Amino acid sequence: MILVESLVKTFGAFTAVDGVSLEVAAGEIHGFLGPNGAGKTTTIRMIAGLLKPTAGRVVIDGHDLAAEPEAAKRALGFVPDRPFLYEKLTAAELLRFHGGLYGLEGPLVEARARELLELFELLAWRDELIESFSHGMKQRLVLCAAFLHRPRAVLIDEPMVGLDPRGARLIKDVFRVMSRNGVGILMSTHTLEVAEEMCDRISIIQGGRIIARGTVDELRGLAGTEDVQLTPVFLKLTGGSGLQEIEL
Amino acid sequence: MSEAFPWLLLPSLWAARNRARRREKGDGLRAALFGGLGLGVAAAMFAVTFWLTWQLLDYEELGEYLIRLGLSWLFLTFLSFVAFSAVVTSLSTFFLSEDLRLLLAAPIPAERLFHSRFVRTVVQSAWMVVAFLLPVLLAVGLARCAPGGYYVTAVLTVVPFVVIPAALGSVMTLGLVSVFPARRARDVLMLMGLLFAIAIVMLLRFLRPERLLRVESLPDVTGFFATFQSPVTPLLPSFWAGESLFAGLNGRLDLLHLGALWTTALAFVVLARAAYGRQYFSAWSKAQEARKARFTRLRLLEPLVRRLPLAPARRALLVKDLKVFLRDTAQWSQLLLLVALALVYVYNFRVLDLDRIPYMSRVIKNVYAFVNLAMAAFVMSAVAVRFVFPAVSAEGPAFWIVRTAPVSMRAFLWSKFWIGLLPILVLAELLTVTSNHLLGVGPFLRTLGAVAIAFMTVALVGLAAGMGARHPRFAAENLTQVAGSYGGVAFMVLAVLFILATVALLAWPASVYLWHDTHGLPVPPRQQAGMAASFLAALGLSLATFWLPMRSGVRALDELG
Repeated sequence: MILVESLVKTFGAFTAVDGVSLEVAAGEIHGFLGPNGAGKTTTIRMIAGLLKPTAGRVVIDGHDLAAEPEAAKRALGFVPDRPFLYEKLTAAELLRFHGGLYGLEGPLVEARARELLELFELLAWRDELIESFSHGMKQRLVLCAAFLHRPRAVLIDEPMVGLDPRGARLIKDVFRVMSRNGVGILMSTHTLEVAEEMCDRISIIQGGRIIARGTVDELRGLAGTEDVQLTPVFLKLTGGSGLQEIEL
Repeated sequence: MSEAFPWLLLPSLWAARNRARRREKGDGLRAALFGGLGLGVAAAMFAVTFWLTWQLLDYEELGEYLIRLGLSWLFLTFLSFVAFSAVVTSLSTFFLSEDLRLLLAAPIPAERLFHSRFVRTVVQSAWMVVAFLLPVLLAVGLARCAPGGYYVTAVLTVVPFVVIPAALGSVMTLGLVSVFPARRARDVLMLMGLLFAIAIVMLLRFLRPERLLRVESLPDVTGFFATFQSPVTPLLPSFWAGESLFAGLNGRLDLLHLGALWTTALAFVVLARAAYGRQYFSAWSKAQEARKARFTRLRLLEPLVRRLPLAPARRALLVKDLKVFLRDTAQWSQLLLLVALALVYVYNFRVLDLDRIPYMSRVIKNVYAFVNLAMAAFVMSAVAVRFVFPAVSAEGPAFWIVRTAPVSMRAFLWSKFWIGLLPILVLAELLTVTSNHLLGVGPFLRTLGAVAIAFMTVALVGLAAGMGARHPRFAAENLTQVAGSYGGVAFMVLAVLFILATVALLAWPASVYLWHDTHGLPVPPRQQAGMAASFLAALGLSLATFWLPMRSGVRALDELG
């Protein structure tokens, strides 16, 4: 559903992403992990069409993002790490606007928007300006927008940021249902418990390159550790030495 | 050092230093453009003031009186300007700045925070006034061959003079925020400021200052100046500033007025500090409260737009842009200023008395028709730089929504173009046709003016939309900043060049035609060909000015990182 081939992004002399390739199959939830500054967000921005790759190819639902950007974007739902929205629109208006951008109008979109606002517990706020929303509410509204057009693939940068435990639980359930319906999900996260619980496969990026890929068990094998938790596995693979001796 | 309040000013100083150190592509050109413009304006102000002061030397007592009155009025204008500017600035420095959360959570005494924020308020609200005063006061001093003490007095006068209205403005903001939430207060202020500016523009225009240039109205001059004097003037800091500077010009030291300035400034700062010490935290806390905002629902808009034969994405962009614009006080309120300027523009043509020169009136009317065309185009470029140039930047950080949607950047930019073009075209035609009608020009020039302004508007809107996409500032706090950015200034320069070139290309064939028409002669075929070539060149220039920036803008949006 999402195919990334040899993606490269350089900023001047600095190479942020260095030949990243990955594939997310239909119905797969793929975790994308890495330490800060590893190139996760840059990769995600290139897949979302927000950043032009220096080299490489992104294909979404069979459409090359460079050659057929509109068809590729039509199949994708994107949730960025920070929920910047048009503050002077109401929640319902934003969803209507979003639907219009995807060529959707009329009662079907209205019904779909209502259904999603209800699912994400925003129905009571549908006619309020977004500028009065909290961070978590904005994040939930972005999720509504991303799922409004029933995308074939979903790209999420830090899905749990700003969500309360109830919201986090809800989003996990939504992902599971979408996955069962054949939607491919690529999810970048720092919350390793979420990755461990949700993901079929995980890719770990460091220094702009994919250094490991596989199921949690396969990663455990690659790290050569018997730890049950993903955190020590991640730290071992990325070279993190854990907590240093510091005075707190 | 870390105990003193200037420590809290360091982050802004460091940020400015880091910005200056970071070299980016085009920085040199940008610095040259802005530096050149700034120096040009300063030099012009210096020259005009020097010339005026020099001329007034010939009028002995009247000249002295006018300089004294002029200084007092200059400072009175700035007094209200700095006070209003300080109200707006302190709303940002004391209540809306992002770093306040960090500072208020830190163990910083209230006085230190007040002092650091107050210094920022004074600097931000008064720098423009000081930059304006510098060449003016220098020119007055040099023209009058003032002693060195005058320049020292100027510094000692300007410093307390800007502190007084800044303190007053800060206290007014404190009161305002205690009543309204901060964001609502900002809207109220924007509207008040704009209405104030409109009132000033209208008042100045309807006073008809051009009457002063007429010999027959000379007896009214004394009455005209008398209206400037009022009994409260001697109680205002502007009067004290004018008096102490005037004394400095004559080599005297006016300790009374200088002392009044300094003691009042000090007293105002102490009072403002006391008010903030007592009320600031509760006002700041109130400013953070997110109430459910009241806003215009604009329910009729969507059914109306749905009737337009547009693709869903275009329709969605149109509805979104209109709603965002009409719900943002800072945006729509600018339309009021625009209406006022349009009224003043048309009024100018109404009061223009060209029939006073009967033999020349026809020629002058024809010349004026072209001046009118150029002026209307200048107005349109000013409107375009304010409303169309920032259209792409107005998407702000929410632009990701459009960029990740299946909408091409071409469709997006064209949508911005059409949204800008239609209202500006209506305004341009209204101004040109009405003013040509009031001028009483013939049908040929009327038609030419109406057609030419349509093409010029298309070109100017295309130039603004394209350059706005080429030089976006998504992080700008408000759209006025975008219009005043490097790209905005570059747009204005190109717009002026385009207008001058187009008017020149149209004026020559039009004058050939009118000359032959006046003399009842047919236009020779060779000249007809030249006229056609000139008209075509003007058309080509308009199309290129519209098309090339639009294409370049689309490319820039596609390449956006």
